[in-house]
Amino acid sequence: MREGFPLPDLQWEPTREYWAGAAAGELRMPRCTACRRFCWYPDGNCRGCGAEQVTWERMTGRAKLFTWVVLEHAFLPQYGRDLPFVSALVALEEAPGVRVPTRIVECAAEDLAIDQPLEVCFRPLRFAGVDGEVVAPFFRPIARLSVA
Amino acid sequence: MSLADWGHAEPYEDVSGEIGIVGIGEAAYSRASGRTSRQIAADAVASAIEDAGLKPSDVDGITLSMVDTDFDAAAFHEHFGTSHDIWVSRCGGGMTWAATAAYDAALAIRRGDAKTVVNVFSVDWASKRGELVGGPGHFHAEELFKQNLEVPFGWFPQPVYFASIARRHMAEFGTTTEQLGSIAVACRRHANRNPLAVMRDKPLSIESYLESPLIADPFRKEDCCLISDGGAAYVMTSLARARDLRREVVEVAGVGLGTSKTGRYWAQQPDFTATPQIFSAPVAFAMAGLEPCDVDVLTCYDPFTIVSLMQIEDMGFCPKGEGGRFVEGKALHFDGGVLPYNTHGGLLSHAYVLGIAHVVEVVKQLRGESASQVPDASVGIYGGYTGPQASTLLLRRGGA
Ligand SMILES: [Zn+2]
Repeated sequence: MREGFPLPDLQWEPTREYWAGAAAGELRMPRCTACRRFCWYPDGNCRGCGAEQVTWERMTGRAKLFTWVVLEHAFLPQYGRDLPFVSALVALEEAPGVRVPTRIVECAAEDLAIDQPLEVCFRPLRFAGVDGEVVAPFFRPIARLSVA
Repeated sequence: MSLADWGHAEPYEDVSGEIGIVGIGEAAYSRASGRTSRQIAADAVASAIEDAGLKPSDVDGITLSMVDTDFDAAAFHEHFGTSHDIWVSRCGGGMTWAATAAYDAALAIRRGDAKTVVNVFSVDWASKRGELVGGPGHFHAEELFKQNLEVPFGWFPQPVYFASIARRHMAEFGTTTEQLGSIAVACRRHANRNPLAVMRDKPLSIESYLESPLIADPFRKEDCCLISDGGAAYVMTSLARARDLRREVVEVAGVGLGTSKTGRYWAQQPDFTATPQIFSAPVAFAMAGLEPCDVDVLTCYDPFTIVSLMQIEDMGFCPKGEGGRFVEGKALHFDGGVLPYNTHGGLLSHAYVLGIAHVVEVVKQLRGESASQVPDASVGIYGGYTGPQASTLLLRRGGA
């Protein structure tokens, strides 16, 4: 396996903009310039109209919790130090049909609910025994307005 | 969302009633054994040929997996000391191909490319486990979109994919942990009755299921399949020839194959809580002239409890979303259940040999030879699954 695994490869062209966006504090998604459909995962021509041109656009970062799993077992040894943690798929406000894999933070697992509103936050991703870190888009519950 | 948005049925010619399964063979099912996949395949094929009352030189076709089983024509000749022409297809083996091998064999026999075809699948993943990153997740870890968009977030490997699907199924339809557990308990009970099953000596009650620790909440270990060494094979020939052989004829009555447009990206399948069995099963039932209510015994490719539950819905045994209530209690047990299911123990409790033993079990049921025999079983069905595809094989005792 590639050195640095399971950190992402920041140089791999198809997802380079996703990780560059995260480093800049932005959640970016690929979109067809012709028909405006989201091309996720960005694995080639637009699946809607066949166009080749894709642009990366900044999202609001608001999403709904589509589903999640609480990892209690280290399926990779590199996951071990973080257990237990919540791995999830979230549906973006602008693109409810595509799902973004992420981790949910700043919330106890037992307080999570399907379709609850979330917002993106950027955190360093590190793994035990792996050199370096990468800024990654995680999600957290949207803070309730406090009553003053 | 319409069905056409996310998948389709492959166009299959009608092969109903053209061929039958005339022999079955099994190699030992075990934990890590040091056997190679080729040795396991040779054992299974030899046993299947003997069961059919044939000689190795009578077998002039092999269908096998494109990845795991290493038992091609050269290996066949080396093992049996033969030298005749053998038609070979790499679109056979286990998973979905444990069903669709029968379709490819029927067409080959119709074309005259072969008269008698053996489908074989074997695996040595228990012995090889140390070489694999994330065990059977290895393939997914190497896939670059998964490696760069899923794995960094812990969305890996298969237990996490399917626990995610189970969570969503629970939210959409009210499916419960106990209902998933009833699938695991049915499989284990059948394995406890099966002397060939890896988990033959380990009972599982619903209470012990609920008490066992979560590994990928909402999944427990018992929601997940074993990792095994083992394999099996089955021999097919024309229905006319099958009637002259020594075993009771088991007719290939219908076959189907369905495909999801999103392939192996489970995260992106528009209908997240369904399988391509929705596309596959209607083709097989129509080809056979049968309906779900005609089925006496079901085997499902069951890497996880939720995969069986979804296939039971998607094959039409109950409406979508009703699967949880359908499988409750003893509904899937061989003795008195409404739908006897994985009566050998399945991938959960028999062995992880990727579906080939599921087809062998259906044949045993239709011949009256199962360790958990369903009385007078005459129609059996296998649901195969890879994620990107699902397949359906309907078998009928005797043949019209
Ligand atoms: Zn487009």
